[in-house]
Amino acid sequence: MAIAVAGSGVTAVAHPPMSYWRAVGWRLRRDPITLAAGGLLALIVLAAVLAPILAPHDPNAGSIRLRLAALGTADHWLGTDEQGRDMLSRLLHGGRMTLLAGLTPVLVAFVVGTVLGVAAGFVGGLPNHLIMRTMDIFYAFPAVLLAIAISGSLGPGLWNTLISLSVVFIPRVVRVAESVTVQVKSLEFISAARASGAGIGQIMRHHLLANVLGPILVFASTQVSLSIILAAGLSFLGLGVTPPAAEWGLMLNTLRGSIYVNAWVPALPGVAIFLTSMTFNLLSDGLRDAMEIRS
Amino acid sequence: MRRLIAVTAVAVLALVFATSAFAQGGHLRIGMTASDIPYTGGQTDNGFEGFRFVGYQIYEPLINWDLTRGDRLPPLVPGLAESWEVRKDNPARWVFKLRKNVKFHDGSPFNADAVIFSFESIKKRDAPHFDSYGSAQVSFRLTALKGISKLDDYTVEIDTGAPTSFVPYQIVYMVIVSPTQWNKVKDWRKFAEQPSGTGPFKVTRFVPRERLELEPNRQYWNDKRMPKVDKLTLFPMPEPTTRLAALRSGQVDWIEVPPPDSIAQLKGAGFQVVTNSYPHNWTHTLRLDKEPWNNKLVRKAANYAIDRVGICKSLLNDMCIPATGVAYKGHPWFGNPKEVYEYNPNKARELLKQAGYGPGKSVPKAVHLISTSGSGQMLPLAMNELIQKNLKEVGLEVDLQPVEWNTLLTRWRAGFQTPDNQGLNAWNISWNFLEPWSGFGRFFHSKSVVPVSVNTMPYLNPEVDKLLDEAEKTFDIAKQDAILARIHEIIVDDAPWIFVAHDLNPRGLSAKVRGFVQPQSWFVDLTAATVR
Amino acid sequence: MWAYAIRRLLLAVPTLIGASLVIFAMVHLAPGDPIAAVMPADATQAEIEATKKAYGFDKPLPVQYLYWLGRVAHGDLGRSIATRRPVIEDVRDSLRHSLALAVSSSLVAFGLGIGLGLLAAFRQGRVLDKLASAIAVVGVSVPHYWAGIILIIIFSVHLNWLPAMGAGSEGGLAEYLRHLTLPTVALSLIPLGVITRVVRSAALDILAQEFVLALSAKGLWHRTVFFHVVKNAAPQILTVLGLQFGFQLGGSVLVETVFSWPGTGYLLNLAIFQRDIPVLQGVILVLAAFFVLLNLTVDILQSLVDPRIARH
Repeated sequence: MAIAVAGSGVTAVAHPPMSYWRAVGWRLRRDPITLAAGGLLALIVLAAVLAPILAPHDPNAGSIRLRLAALGTADHWLGTDEQGRDMLSRLLHGGRMTLLAGLTPVLVAFVVGTVLGVAAGFVGGLPNHLIMRTMDIFYAFPAVLLAIAISGSLGPGLWNTLISLSVVFIPRVVRVAESVTVQVKSLEFISAARASGAGIGQIMRHHLLANVLGPILVFASTQVSLSIILAAGLSFLGLGVTPPAAEWGLMLNTLRGSIYVNAWVPALPGVAIFLTSMTFNLLSDGLRDAMEIRS
Repeated sequence: MRRLIAVTAVAVLALVFATSAFAQGGHLRIGMTASDIPYTGGQTDNGFEGFRFVGYQIYEPLINWDLTRGDRLPPLVPGLAESWEVRKDNPARWVFKLRKNVKFHDGSPFNADAVIFSFESIKKRDAPHFDSYGSAQVSFRLTALKGISKLDDYTVEIDTGAPTSFVPYQIVYMVIVSPTQWNKVKDWRKFAEQPSGTGPFKVTRFVPRERLELEPNRQYWNDKRMPKVDKLTLFPMPEPTTRLAALRSGQVDWIEVPPPDSIAQLKGAGFQVVTNSYPHNWTHTLRLDKEPWNNKLVRKAANYAIDRVGICKSLLNDMCIPATGVAYKGHPWFGNPKEVYEYNPNKARELLKQAGYGPGKSVPKAVHLISTSGSGQMLPLAMNELIQKNLKEVGLEVDLQPVEWNTLLTRWRAGFQTPDNQGLNAWNISWNFLEPWSGFGRFFHSKSVVPVSVNTMPYLNPEVDKLLDEAEKTFDIAKQDAILARIHEIIVDDAPWIFVAHDLNPRGLSAKVRGFVQPQSWFVDLTAATVR
Repeated sequence: MWAYAIRRLLLAVPTLIGASLVIFAMVHLAPGDPIAAVMPADATQAEIEATKKAYGFDKPLPVQYLYWLGRVAHGDLGRSIATRRPVIEDVRDSLRHSLALAVSSSLVAFGLGIGLGLLAAFRQGRVLDKLASAIAVVGVSVPHYWAGIILIIIFSVHLNWLPAMGAGSEGGLAEYLRHLTLPTVALSLIPLGVITRVVRSAALDILAQEFVLALSAKGLWHRTVFFHVVKNAAPQILTVLGLQFGFQLGGSVLVETVFSWPGTGYLLNLAIFQRDIPVLQGVILVLAAFFVLLNLTVDILQSLVDPRIARH
């Protein structure tokens, strides 16, 4: 039985837990694009985590006499930025910031959103209305606007960015979680379990969560790419990470003025954001395909 | 048939000549660094860029700068006043003889009433025509002007309380607005939408945040400065990349402060890049009543930590020269300072050690307010990142807070003691030293402390107070210069600022712009330019 | 259908109120004295007192909110700290430009997106599908502000075909459209990607239904099936179109900044830098109200297309 969540493009199937996930994993491994994307993502994450070891130079050290060196310069293979700092090192370290600023809000949204959404969907009635209508208020703002409104009021900085982006994504996850929960709740085997006298905790754990976490996870994974673009975008506007920190959006901003001297080096942070964003999209696509069943 | 063709040809040629004679000046389109149109209500905002493109084009003061030559510092020449002198019997009073037969853009006549009206709009808080916004922009420059009175329709007298030679230097910042026009609308905001001054240009269209369109004032009193262009349009373009793109794609003919990296390319593509030295100083003006900048040794250390040559040569492509004081070497006020600041991180660390800081005790972090663009600010983000790095290398931690230019100016005028500014330790603002008051008086005299003027640091030095008072009473230029040079030497030694660079005022012009002479000034004369 | 419409309308009211609460709170979220957030630093004492009274800063928060709401209802969104002009004027002027950009960008994204999505669905598994899907993934992953910069480099600086900034409002319609081109392309990339994917997915779902397969087996392909797909996918597509139009109207800040396009996003960016909270509040309030109305319209339209939704 397929469960469709309107507007999010997520479809999932209710099945007994174990063999389902095994099937999902098997399907994931067979899709070449998903595998490639997974591999690329692993590389990106690894590079970011190991940045202090991998980076050939200190990302904050640079001599202005060496500024805007072109690609392929000896000792600076990806060139240098407008302050003479090594691009490769800054891209590696920048990845940590961007990934942190992009992933954390979605993770927070996943946890908080699932709790709120599942609770709202399961309990129903007035609590459901209260929670969902509150989420509607935030949902009324487009992501960028809400992020700017909050960041603009709080001021620049990494923490404020994390807060504002979390506020942006939580309502979306809550909506999906609530919708999926409502549908799974109405399925036959849940009422059968209730009739057989199983406690709420048991129902939750064995039947509900196993079936709703899948679609929610898929939805959350589709939001990562947007979160990364938004986080970098906030830094681009001067609302996110502050100089001299290395972060891809901020680098894009400060390198903008140099596009006339050397178009390639300033393009690099954008390429990095693009690639990372794309791998997440391809992965979440693969995950969704693996979890769907078409007859 | 042949005759018909001949006649037609002649007629067409005549038409072409006629129209080209009409429209020969061209349309000058300028991209400014300001993020919005400077206030057109008279006493303009956005710093000197406001004066440059709006204040001094639409309006005029009683005394003007002569901006027609680039080979010398601009002298003061008669503007709306034909002559002025201090009264022999009372040196605290100056008599200005006003120019006759001058009309405002709205047709009303210029006379003493207009001068008094303008003065009151800045100084008389209870007057119905008090312009609170305009007054805030300019009153800190007019501290010596205490009162004004009308002697007759074309003569006014200014009262300065105590004798001061600075009067002409301050009068130059007060532009004259049309009382008749103001009385039609009785509101400064409405007046700003239909401004009326006596200047060489008048406003034809005002689209907030987008553009200001002007045309020559055909009734302008000075036919030697009648604008040659047919139309002038100003665009706010705070981003250097945007300005550059606009110039290169032909959307504008003139941009302020092109990105230094693009200068070689611009020249290669046939554009003109004009520069000239001018009394400009890019500084971090430090807060002297709080750590860390309350310690003279720490301030000196900061000055030794900066790689000025690196900034000017490598970052700004030689579009500036290193600054080691308020004025530059060769300027009459430079004097012979004891300290010669240069890039010497070891010396900086030594000085910090002498001040008692080191591995055990680190210097408290400082927060500096900077701008993202603006008149005279050059490339603030890039330069400040580098300065932050230089300072960190010797152990001085500085946090940068960027705000928009006009916001920075507003917060600066309010001083460090407001709740908003309490946590700050410095402003990164570029200063002018066009005359003694702007160069020294407003900053270093104890009577200039906020809110009277802009000694925000506050710098309190009785010796400098005495010297400034003496300079103010000296009407002989050579003697005055000597006193100011002595003041300069003290200031350089006290290091109340981090001295960084003197800008060379680069502008990017298309090859079609002719006739423009870049003066050694913050301001420009647009009347001689043509665009063909 | 009317019952649904009225229910939806009623639901919109608390949403608007809630949104207004969030916006109202922004002044108090900002660090520092709230009065400093709405007045310039050099305001005279008289001006400060007058503003304090109008805003009711000395009163408890709920009362302040009501004062504010009252003013908003009269169209008074306060005065910009930077320009001293009424915020409502700045917002009105910039909204025109943002709408122009959103509409043109939507036309491109919707037209191309629906076309590509349907193409991909009907040619599933083949080259055209893979191509369309690749375009979609790229569109969704690209940072649009970066794309804007690249477009400027190529089309404005190197080729000199199109202007790099501004709206060209002095040159008439043709100039305006020329200036609109590059921002439109940059802004339409992400919606194009999203719409293509959603349309493809929705169409595929319908095509997989058994009776559709049966129809095709009977040879009744093309037009009948096509219309059937479109009609059934319409609700989902409508939702996403509505959301994406919203994204382009409200989320255009980054693109407008890169191109100096004088819309609400550009105004927002300026207001952030100038710490001009009244303008920030005004712009966000107007945009949020727009959204709520947009979502309302989309939901009602959906219920028209698919009556089942109204019964939900």
